[in-house]
Amino acid sequence: MAGGTVADPVLDESGLHLTEVPPVVPPSPHEADLPPPSPPPRKEPFVSNARLGMLMFLAFEAMFFGGLLGAFLVFRLAAVHWPPPGQPYLPGVVTWINTGILLSSGVTMRRALRAIRDGNQSGLMNGLGVTALLGAIFLAVQGGEWVRLVRYGLTLTSGTYGSTFYTLIGCHGVHVLGAVVWLLVILLQSARYRFTARDHVGVQLCGMYWTFVVGLWPVLFGLVYLY
Amino acid sequence: MAESAVAVGTGQAVHVHHEELGFWRTYVFSTDHKMIGRQFLFLGLFMMILGGLLALMIRWQLAWPETQIPGLRWVPEPFMYDGAMGPEFYNAVFTMHATIMIFFVVMPILVGCFGNFLIPLMIGARDMAFPVLNMLSFWVGAVSGVIMLAGFFVPGGHAAGGWTAYAPLTAVTQYTGVNWGQNIWCISLILLGISSLMGSINYITTIINMRAPGMTFFRLPLVIWSLFIVAILLLLALPVLTSALAMLLFDRMLGTSFFLPAGGGEPLLWQHLFWFFGHPEVYVLILPAMGVASEVLSVFARKPIFGYRAMAYSMIAIAFLSWIVWGHHMFQSGMNPALATSFMVSTMVIAVPSAIKTFNWLGTLWGGSIRFTTPMLHGLAFVSMFVIGGLSGIFMASTPVDIFIHDTYFIVAHIHYVVFGGSVFGIFAAIAYWFPKLFGRMMNETLGKIHFWLTFLAFNGTFFPMHILGVGGHMRRIYNPMQYEFLQPLQPVNVFITVSALVLGIVQIPFVINFFWSLFAGKKAERNPWQANTLEWTAPSPPPHGNWGDTLPVVYGGPYEYSPPGVSEDYLPQTQSRVPHLAAAH
Amino acid sequence: MLSWLPENVSTYGGEVDFLFYLIYYITGATFILVTVTMLAFLFLYRRREGRRAIYSHGNTTLEIIWTIVPAIILVVLSFMSQASWARIKSHAPPGDVEVQVTSKQFNWEMTYPGPDGKFGTADDLTLENQLHVPVGKVVRVHLRSKDVIHSFFLPNLRLKQDTVPGREILAWFQATKAGTYEIPCAELCGFGHSGMKGWLYVHPADEYETWVKERWPSSSQGEGSKGS
Ligand code: HEA
Ligand code: HEA
Ligand code: CUA
Ligand SMILES: [Cu+2]
Repeated sequence: MAGGTVADPVLDESGLHLTEVPPVVPPSPHEADLPPPSPPPRKEPFVSNARLGMLMFLAFEAMFFGGLLGAFLVFRLAAVHWPPPGQPYLPGVVTWINTGILLSSGVTMRRALRAIRDGNQSGLMNGLGVTALLGAIFLAVQGGEWVRLVRYGLTLTSGTYGSTFYTLIGCHGVHVLGAVVWLLVILLQSARYRFTARDHVGVQLCGMYWTFVVGLWPVLFGLVYLY
Repeated sequence: MAESAVAVGTGQAVHVHHEELGFWRTYVFSTDHKMIGRQFLFLGLFMMILGGLLALMIRWQLAWPETQIPGLRWVPEPFMYDGAMGPEFYNAVFTMHATIMIFFVVMPILVGCFGNFLIPLMIGARDMAFPVLNMLSFWVGAVSGVIMLAGFFVPGGHAAGGWTAYAPLTAVTQYTGVNWGQNIWCISLILLGISSLMGSINYITTIINMRAPGMTFFRLPLVIWSLFIVAILLLLALPVLTSALAMLLFDRMLGTSFFLPAGGGEPLLWQHLFWFFGHPEVYVLILPAMGVASEVLSVFARKPIFGYRAMAYSMIAIAFLSWIVWGHHMFQSGMNPALATSFMVSTMVIAVPSAIKTFNWLGTLWGGSIRFTTPMLHGLAFVSMFVIGGLSGIFMASTPVDIFIHDTYFIVAHIHYVVFGGSVFGIFAAIAYWFPKLFGRMMNETLGKIHFWLTFLAFNGTFFPMHILGVGGHMRRIYNPMQYEFLQPLQPVNVFITVSALVLGIVQIPFVINFFWSLFAGKKAERNPWQANTLEWTAPSPPPHGNWGDTLPVVYGGPYEYSPPGVSEDYLPQTQSRVPHLAAAH
Repeated sequence: MLSWLPENVSTYGGEVDFLFYLIYYITGATFILVTVTMLAFLFLYRRREGRRAIYSHGNTTLEIIWTIVPAIILVVLSFMSQASWARIKSHAPPGDVEVQVTSKQFNWEMTYPGPDGKFGTADDLTLENQLHVPVGKVVRVHLRSKDVIHSFFLPNLRLKQDTVPGREILAWFQATKAGTYEIPCAELCGFGHSGMKGWLYVHPADEYETWVKERWPSSSQGEGSKGS
């Protein structure tokens, strides 16, 4: 390919206003089957298809949680007492610790990504393994708390307090669960040396998703537990 | 992944594999964007017949309440009594009429079919960014359609709470007697949301990353702009509906109380969430049609579109504003009146970009050399009918006027002028215009024009008098207007509307005939039968797998260079070099 | 030209009708402008042998004009609407008569406070689907709902207000003409939505007194439901 030097000026025109271009044009588009000038070189896309697609999926997810959070806030802002009289407080200390666990899993995921970028296979596997483990612990702790809350009498049917709590936190939990499963799949693939320093889209996508799930949690924690 | 995208996107010679695919992979589980587009088209057209027949049932009941509808005596009780409709069934019928028309006709055709078919072809790509996801998008959509139709056959009947499904009517089975119908409605729409999600991801990624060399954003045809914007709207609006539907389902099935006042829930929350989705949704229905009209008007007026950038920016403005106007559906809902005022202002403002578009279309016609082909007639009808529908929107935007016309047939008239007069005429224009590229054959112009004129007349006969009903106070969603003394004098209008609607239904037959006849026996289409500039016309009709042979097109200019000076033909394809001496230098 | 709006018998109905006609004339003029221009262009610029279309990409001045002019019209419309809207929906005047209207599938329950002017006391009276009010007096309607959302619609009084379960919403009107008017339900509320209706009886002052006397014979006071 002859490079872009020749055709670049054409590209820079707005392309809309022909008057800006010399009005000498081949007589008829049909007859003018001249070889076109060498095309301007195509730039690498700024963000690859896969990551762009993932970003958009996350935008969808964010709006989904936005809808649920909107519902929660409607009730929370209108309430005088929250929790409503007779309803239990949500576990504070345990959830602080659990938040720490989940946030640190975000760090380990970063580590895994950095490792594979350097071609460090065992670093990748370690990172993924620890992340999945932390995620699983988070889920287990949350499950335990849910059991206690249900025993306490807080269920989906306990008015808007129970409805919003279980729906929001449950939806997040399901997302974490999905992310852990995905992590395990990636882990399995990396055990087979599926990823290299140059090509590890799978890890990247999973990392983006994990970051979303982890980043969402402080928002939920702040609004649902602390506010 | 990144590498492959680049390889596909360059103008370098790329060898396309012409492996023979079997029947299943060619026609059913195809990953080719063109076949998926055609599949969406057939899905949408099939559903349009169903949705239209439901509309005719509505009309029959309104003109001749509680009389036998011909041909429907087989429908069992308690839906119909010897061919006459019961009130609950009537509610289910208009609910499904709207649901089908909006979610399974206009969206699949304008967004599903033309989005898929046109995006790669018009930006110069071989396929979508994620072909498998694309196939899944169709199949999830189709399954969602089947599930939606299955709702007619469950005990208790189909969802009967209107397409807007206001809670708590829809949240508690006892209020309507509808049990699984409503659940199925929710589940089907959640699935449809997933289908649209996959589609939008594809559209946005493809448009951002896979444009042909030289195809800058401001050289994109306006229809691609519109589809790009629509994909973003869908991506951000549908999840909100999904979350609302999930909450509704939980209320119905798990005992939560999001929308039930008894448990502290808030009925208006549903409306806020629904319309936060719903208003962007109605622009999803109209924007692609606006894009189609821009293509068609420019091509057949043989003139550049008037104010290309203003056209693109005004669509962006409409999309932005569509997020902050949802409250105009809730002026009388008990929402804070001061809030209503701010929604009124934003609603009025959203008419401004529509004004820009309308006047720029007129500007496009000015000084043109207008060819009255079938697609052009539909495109012109789109403009004038959209204007009527948009102007009736101004009445409703004014909060005091809306007090009177809210929930009357004035709204029904508005709906149909924008969605039929707008979107459906856009669909007819698009089908007539791109049929040669879709199927490699020309549609019959005579039949096309007969269909156009009869549809245009019958359409106005059906929906214009609805303004009169609405101004007379005729409520929407009522089963029998004769139950009201103040509506009885208006009954002849109802009869007139119904007769027109029946005609409107019947005159779709020429279209159906034309479509299928042309599909098999139409005149073979050349590459560029309309002498248009955009890239899809540089591919064979119909384009093969991979769209262009070994080399992809390269873009040298904007899409609307019609009748440029210095060119003997009255068009200048985007692939045509504008600087011939550079070509010579090569 | 537009005699098809039902007769207006409400004090603020005139404002609604005025805005309606104003928008009608504005949009009517816009429609004619657009349509005539379009038809003229279609005729003038139809394809003819040997003539080439004008090559033009637009005209910024024109575009600015046709952006600004509609914008101004719409903003003015918003301001005019806002004033009426606030009068009708935000600032209900003190009531001469108070009633509670409770909607349920598929009836309107009208509760009158009785001579003591208070709801929830023994002398309350509840009638199904009958709303009796005096002409020329401000009537404040407290809207509630027992089950789903309904909509209290008085076409002749230009009043429409949804009733929402779990809330009480205040609406008001002042009838200018005695008569009997239908009260349809305007929001889909189930299979009986169509046909859910009541009657509004707007009585002349003396007739209203008689009605009150018949209902609350023990009361010596004429204005039975005089507000606080
Ligand atoms: C394709 C779909 C579509 C489109 C494009 C629109 C466009 C608009 N709609 Fe519509 N609308 C619906 C579909 C659509 N609508 C549906 C389906 C409902 C009912 C839902 C239900 O309840 O079931 C509805 C309901 C609806 C309501 C609620 C009514 C009620 O329930 O009480 C309102 C209120 O403001 C409204 C307003 C508008 C406005 C202001 C526009 C504007 O965007 C229109 C802008 C266009 C123009 C104004 C014309 C061109 C401009 C000019 C020629 C310039 C000059 C103009 C002036 C100076 C005035 N619409
Ligand atoms: C894209 C959207 C769309 C489209 C295209 C239509 C098309 C039509 N609609 Fe509908 N409609 C809505 C969207 C749409 N509608 C919505 C959103 C509502 C609100 C619902 C609610 O309140 O919840 C509504 C409500 C609605 C009502 C109000 C019901 C009520 O409030 O009680 C009515 C009443 O007349 C009606 C009529 C019609 C008619 C006669 C057509 C006609 O244009 C249909 C003509 C088409 C055909 C008939 C199909 C073609 C048929 C063939 C090709 C086969 C051959 C035909 C024969 C053998 C006869 N519609
Ligand atoms: Cu009550 Cu409709
Ligand atoms: Cu809207």
